[in-house]
Amino acid sequence: MHLHDLSSFAYLLIMDIRPHLLVIDDDHEIRDLLTRFMEKHGFRVTAVRDAREARRAWTRGAFQLVVLDLMLPGESGLDLARWLRDQEDVAIVMLSAMGEDTDRIIGLELGADDYIAKPFNPRELLARIRAIMRRATDTQGNGSNGDRTARPLRFAGWTLDPARRRLLNPDGVEVPLTGGEYDLLFALLERANRVLTRDMLLDLLRGRQAGPFDRAIDVAVSRLRRKLDDQGGGAQLIKTVRGGGYVLAATVERA
Amino acid sequence: MTAENTSAPPARPPCPWYRRIRLWPRSLAARTAFVLLTGLVVVQTLGLGIHTLDRNDLVRLAAVRVFSFRVMSIYRDLAEVQPPQRAQRLRKIELPPTFSVTLMDETDDLFSNLLPTPPPIRHSILLNMDSFPLPPELRPQHVHFGVNPETRHEYTALQMPDGRWLVISSLLPSPDSIRGTEFLIAFIVMTVLAAAMTLWAVRRLTAPVRTLAAAAEALGRDVNAPPLPEGGPSEIAAAARAFNTMAGRIRRFVQDRTLLLTAIGHDLRTPITRMRLRAEFMEDDEQRAKMLQDLDEMEAMVSATIAFGRIASPNEPVSPIDLAELLRTVLDEAGDAAPEIADRLRYEGPDHWTVRVRPQAFKRALTNLVSNAVKYGNCAQIRLLQPGRQGGTLRIEVNDEGPGIPAEHMTRLLQPFQRLENSRNRETGGVGLGLAIARDIARAHGGDLILGNRPEGGARVTLTLPV
Repeated sequence: MHLHDLSSFAYLLIMDIRPHLLVIDDDHEIRDLLTRFMEKHGFRVTAVRDAREARRAWTRGAFQLVVLDLMLPGESGLDLARWLRDQEDVAIVMLSAMGEDTDRIIGLELGADDYIAKPFNPRELLARIRAIMRRATDTQGNGSNGDRTARPLRFAGWTLDPARRRLLNPDGVEVPLTGGEYDLLFALLERANRVLTRDMLLDLLRGRQAGPFDRAIDVAVSRLRRKLDDQGGGAQLIKTVRGGGYVLAATVERA
Repeated sequence: MTAENTSAPPARPPCPWYRRIRLWPRSLAARTAFVLLTGLVVVQTLGLGIHTLDRNDLVRLAAVRVFSFRVMSIYRDLAEVQPPQRAQRLRKIELPPTFSVTLMDETDDLFSNLLPTPPPIRHSILLNMDSFPLPPELRPQHVHFGVNPETRHEYTALQMPDGRWLVISSLLPSPDSIRGTEFLIAFIVMTVLAAAMTLWAVRRLTAPVRTLAAAAEALGRDVNAPPLPEGGPSEIAAAARAFNTMAGRIRRFVQDRTLLLTAIGHDLRTPITRMRLRAEFMEDDEQRAKMLQDLDEMEAMVSATIAFGRIASPNEPVSPIDLAELLRTVLDEAGDAAPEIADRLRYEGPDHWTVRVRPQAFKRALTNLVSNAVKYGNCAQIRLLQPGRQGGTLRIEVNDEGPGIPAEHMTRLLQPFQRLENSRNRETGGVGLGLAIARDIARAHGGDLILGNRPEGGARVTLTLPV
């Protein structure tokens, strides 16, 4: 064994700076594959099969993020999520049955940071996890701002409801958004009045969109502007920043 | 789920004669009423005829009787006196109107110009004469009868005991067919009453048939339609019970099938997730891309199957949504997924239009229509046609420039698991639920889905929505 290898091995052993994920899923193949996949992309993963093992693992390690399958044998995923919320402010991404709307709403109200339906696209999961980590770093929190994610965001008369992923105009009429548009608007609102660079936006939209991402962002922004009746001029909501990037200029309140 | 008959219509039985009548009505109620009312009119007319004939007979008999007695009274008055005084006596007799009396020696000349009196009248006059009280020696020796066809006078010649002839002519009363309007009014009132009762009874009796037809129609649209009330006459109640039993069986069948489908769909999610993850570790980029594409297709089928199962129990609340933006969003998502066709996706219509629908279900229906248009027509153009000022129906047209839909497949395509091409080829893969889901969702909103073709070529699928 080379010295270099040894030192890096020791380095990893002593202080692993990779973000640590706790994956809870009852299917062992998915557990193994997800572990390999996330490790390949620079994460450290501990994978367990149910709520009991999750509690045991929790006491032994410090986790930046939990990937939690809601359909667990024994104690339900929702109960475990509630327990995790009480322990520490950790970010939670929930996995659940496709399109079960009520699950998603309950999950987000319980304080999950994001929700992704099975069968999920691994790259989309990766992108969402990265976005949550970045958000955590941005807001200087320990991990999560989950207790706030489910609450509707109000800005300039409009309302964005993260639990139902929908945008309501000042008259309370839903204005539909594509997945990419929603993610973009959510990111802009989270960091209202701060510049979002093109790189950050690319991160958000990757995994969702095919084709050239650069153009996709401009297209999504122009569609958002149209949907928000954002005509331009001094009172423009989404402003273009010279040198690449966008900023949402509005006061955002959490209801 | 649907009750349409897709096979060719059954051969029509040969047309019976009564169907060729122009006036032969189409509805059961009208037919029954028609038959009953026709019968009523025939019976009433016959009754009226018999009554009239009978009445005329009576009137005539009475008239003949009166006539005979008058004749005999005059004869007795004259026969009782001596022959020389008879002429004088005759002048004193007060004659009823239309009577004229003469004494003659000979009657052959007179009767040679007359026609014989009809036998029934003659007999009845003779009978009446016989019953007239007269001493036998005074009875007339001979009696002759005759009718003047022009004046309609009845001539009666009686031979007196002295051999001379007493000739009495009179206008026989001819009975007028219906005297008095009371009878006619009573007849009309009776007929109208009977007709009204017939119509009422027929309508009442055929109402359950209409209810049954409506229930069958409702079941075709929605298997969870409420059951028929099982009341009324025993035959109708039995039919309603049989119908409800059948509807229950269909419902259970549909539910079982839907449950099975949904269960398979749910169970497929874990293997698909595993394969997605496994694909990420494949070395060969091309193979990985193909595998991910297959998995996307499988996921789309699973999600269609689960969506189809969910329509049966919609738990999504109705809320207002900007339909114009929804249509654009659906097109944008199709364009994001396949940027090479993004230029061929167009929206035409108002910038904003608010409707109240179940947003996720409705979006699913529209997504299915757009994805079909893209798949089979290589483009999608949506037109939102606003309803008229008086309200009515909103129309959403999804047009493409593909080969269109052959007319003979239109009904079939709206049924679950039916697809246009026979081979389930991969290029346009799918399970054949898209249109069935879209139609079920449209109907759950009180609208419908209509398949058609554009005059300039290509398919046109229209989703209607009542406003």
